[in-house]
Amino acid sequence: MTAISDLLEDPSIRAYLLRLIGEEGVDLLVKFPPEGEFSDEDLAAKTGINLNSVRHTLYTLYEKRLAGYRRIKNAETGWLTYLWQLNTDAIYHAICEDLQMVLEKLENRKKYEEENDFYICKTCGTFTFNEVADTNFQCPLCGNPVEHFNNETLLKALDLRISQIKQSPCYE
Amino acid sequence: MASLEEEALRLIQCTPGGVLQSELWKQLNIDSRKCSRIVKKLLDLNLIERVEHRSDGIKTFMLRGKKKTIDACLLMAEQELVPCIACDRECIVEECNLIVDWIYQLAIEEAKK
Repeated sequence: MTAISDLLEDPSIRAYLLRLIGEEGVDLLVKFPPEGEFSDEDLAAKTGINLNSVRHTLYTLYEKRLAGYRRIKNAETGWLTYLWQLNTDAIYHAICEDLQMVLEKLENRKKYEEENDFYICKTCGTFTFNEVADTNFQCPLCGNPVEHFNNETLLKALDLRISQIKQSPCYE
Repeated sequence: MASLEEEALRLIQCTPGGVLQSELWKQLNIDSRKCSRIVKKLLDLNLIERVEHRSDGIKTFMLRGKKKTIDACLLMAEQELVPCIACDRECIVEECNLIVDWIYQLAIEEAKK
């Protein structure tokens, strides 16, 4: 299994994990004992992280298959205990899935950029031709005149990233 | 890749410690011969590794996913992670200011290169 310290050395993976589980979640990953399986209460006690935060992190990690659990039942009380362990190798699968989701959004945005002509107000942002044609090429929000906006640079950047994602190992 | 192979790969990659081949075909609801063919294909593609394993004296194989070299940088523009990760807003990509800002970052990054 990939050591969490190795994963967190990659700034992109660190940013990804921070977005998913926040600072406390990353703290749990760092402090998660490398061997064995643990209940949420064990983990809260061992790491000093609030139990609710531990649970929230574990569920989020489970949704991405970055953590798994084994359920055991106490024969006397009938209580169920969930014993958790990390599965850091699944990070590559999780990132692949998200790259595919991002690709779809970037392709949709590219289509929108290609199909529209844009105008910019220096204060309020960009608008499509249809939005400013009705206002005699004045900003629909502040009334200042708008100027044509050349989106060629944005389209080039979008095109490049789309092709890079399509060439990534996720698409092999 | 065929959907059954994808499902097998997902199971192998996403199970901590790996999956026994003798369990994999049961989980996929296929026969062991078909499972062997799928495993061979995944091995040939260098996506998994296979280690001999004895379970109750019976020889089988433990299957584990190989680490792929996915470049997480593809989710970044400059130092900014794409806003779509873990985003819980209703997604209307034509109206999303967050993605527009991120695409601007992308264009700035490209212009610097």
